[in-house]
Amino acid sequence: MKKVLGNKGAIGLFVIPALILYSIIVILPVLWSFYYSFFSGSPGLKWEFSGTKNYIQILSDKNFRNSLIVNLKYIGIVMIGQVGGGLLMALMFRFWLRRFKNIVRTIVFFPVVLPTVAVGQLFAKIYEIQPSYGLLNSILNAVGLSALVQPWIGQASTALGALEVMDIWTGIGFHSIILYGALLDIPDDVIEAGRIDGCNGFNLFRHILAPLLRPMIITCMVFSFSGTVKLFESALALTNGGPGNATRSLSMYMYSVAFTYNKVGYGSVIAIFIFLLCITGSKIINLFDKKESYY
Amino acid sequence: MKKKVLAILMSSTMILGTLAGCGGGAESTEAPAETATEEASEETTEVAAAETSEETTEEAAEETQETEAAEETAATGDFSGEDPQLEKDFHILSIWAEDNDNGVLINNICKAYQEVNPNFTYEYELVSSDDLRQKVATLVASNDLPDMFVYESGKPIVDLIEADQIVDIGAMLEEIGSTDFVTPSATSLLETLSGTDTIYDLPLGLNVEGFWYNKALFEQAGITEAPATWDEFEEDLAKLKDAGIQPLSCGAADKWGATRLINAYTVRSLGADALKNAAEGKTSYTDEGYVAAAAKVQEWADKGYFGEGVNTVDMNTAGSMLMTGKSAIFYNGSWFASNLNDESANAAGEDGIGFFNIPVVDESVSAIDSYSMNCGNILCLSKAKEDEATKWFVKYFVEHIGDEAMTTQGSIKGYTYSTQASDMTAYTKLVLDEIGKAQSAFTWYEATMNSEISDAAQSNVQMLLSGEMTPEDYMQSIQDAADMSALE
Repeated sequence: MKKVLGNKGAIGLFVIPALILYSIIVILPVLWSFYYSFFSGSPGLKWEFSGTKNYIQILSDKNFRNSLIVNLKYIGIVMIGQVGGGLLMALMFRFWLRRFKNIVRTIVFFPVVLPTVAVGQLFAKIYEIQPSYGLLNSILNAVGLSALVQPWIGQASTALGALEVMDIWTGIGFHSIILYGALLDIPDDVIEAGRIDGCNGFNLFRHILAPLLRPMIITCMVFSFSGTVKLFESALALTNGGPGNATRSLSMYMYSVAFTYNKVGYGSVIAIFIFLLCITGSKIINLFDKKESYY
Repeated sequence: MKKKVLAILMSSTMILGTLAGCGGGAESTEAPAETATEEASEETTEVAAAETSEETTEEAAEETQETEAAEETAATGDFSGEDPQLEKDFHILSIWAEDNDNGVLINNICKAYQEVNPNFTYEYELVSSDDLRQKVATLVASNDLPDMFVYESGKPIVDLIEADQIVDIGAMLEEIGSTDFVTPSATSLLETLSGTDTIYDLPLGLNVEGFWYNKALFEQAGITEAPATWDEFEEDLAKLKDAGIQPLSCGAADKWGATRLINAYTVRSLGADALKNAAEGKTSYTDEGYVAAAAKVQEWADKGYFGEGVNTVDMNTAGSMLMTGKSAIFYNGSWFASNLNDESANAAGEDGIGFFNIPVVDESVSAIDSYSMNCGNILCLSKAKEDEATKWFVKYFVEHIGDEAMTTQGSIKGYTYSTQASDMTAYTKLVLDEIGKAQSAFTWYEATMNSEISDAAQSNVQMLLSGEMTPEDYMQSIQDAADMSALE
């Protein structure tokens, strides 16, 4: 085996086909976007070289800034909701609901397999206010909180929150299952030992479970981050970016710019920015990982 | 360490995945096109996209010269006699399924033409209306527009005219001697929309827009007559509200339902060319009159005329609210008659819903016989694919579609017709009457805006309705978008 892997030719044989394929379907389009970002207009319609004009324009683009803020708020809340909530649920399965774990796991995982568009329709009905109250408003009305009845996805102040709740609901099951799996890997005797040494619930989590779960939590955060940074289809299904631009993410804005406004060049600049955002985001997440080696 | 590598790998794959989506967007839409255009070599689709764009202009320029030359010689060609049965494989790009709406008409005409010319074959390709512009942009980029395709009138078509991609249909109709088959009102409307003195497109509808109202609810509120002036209109709205009826339903989730209301007041108070002036920079969207119109609609929202959560209601729901008596008035086009004709959906019955034109603010600025009209989606012809056989087909098309539409659907498409639908319903008659009353036309709010400005106008109108944006800010956002797109 060592002989084979020591041979550079053999390594090449294994690596090169995949590398070529990867380059064609992944790296090439990225470079292509980069190349496009120096042009204005749309290929075929007023396609002209414009130098760095697009990059200068993005600095003063209010819509871009607005979408970026929406995106960052969304990433922050949904990541905390999905991973934090998932962790809480995993702990709950492990310590309280162990006997019903199969049923609970199935129920919790159910939203993950639903198509986004169906979830969007479902929540649009839940938040509905006209022509008749949806589930949420009906409940509020029934328990005497009719002052709180409002068009949840019809006003900018609550639309993003409503969307975040929906996506946390969708994603939380996935993360709780992963973290539950990791929790099961922690041997009972470690927990037992902690208990004997007088750990209460919080300390048990803080000093024993959390460090042991760290790698899995980071993996979950990476999943959650990469899922949220490209916010597109769920916002499209629930609010279509509205009202106003209250739920329009960067990728939705990029899509509009490139394909609706016919400015593929400018859209590519936004794509490049999303790319940088992703790199920065994963760098930050990886900072948590580095700490591990000091333990 | 392994985890780190894993994390980096996974995140970067996903990132690249996102980007691949962006970068590849233009290419991926190519896929369905390829099925239709197998001959077009795959290289041209992507790699040559940039090159072709440069070439297109040159080629197009050459082509115009050529076609002009050709037209001069072909002008002697006689289109009055028998169809020469030229061989042609005709590609049509449409947004209607073959059994739906205009799709039925186009297919019927094609099939009927096949009997005249057995050498004529056609391929009917479908794309969703949301993807239409993008699809056409891609096809333009790969220099592969289909022979005939559905497109949008107004600003989008102007881009194609400027890129010299589509046929001057006015001249073609002149040449084949079928000019009279397109009604003058449709022709003038299309000319206005493209800002040219000839038409570059064929109409596929002739619609008026206005307010549909529920007669029973009007009676209940003590209103005897449909309002003709804006003051009466507002009085009626107040009366309806006092009677505990929701005065208006508006599909603000679909956005255009709301901007049409702003348009109504803008045109009636500033004149038919108000928005054109703003688009050309003669006036600003932030001028007082424009703001006043936005303020008017916001005022209605504040008074609760639209009911709760207007931004979550789409046009279908708003329409069914009118028909089921949950709201009294609903702004929509004459195409809404097809919903009204559907007995299972229309609880108000055959005579339960009426129609009135947008009430007049100032008779001298915009009169009651001026209607908001549009031609719906339109048909364009690719300049590169135009030939003799196309002309013969177009001749057959314009000469027969008027009758076809009238007999099968009882609708007017902007062509002359000689038959009458056998069983015309009251609503269809009502629409025909209204179209007959129209002496002049004005267009919708976004007709003169490019997609960037129209997007600002449409998405922010929801903020206007929810009161989270002042009318001044709303109009400013439209002006900002106009300034932004002028940068290009």
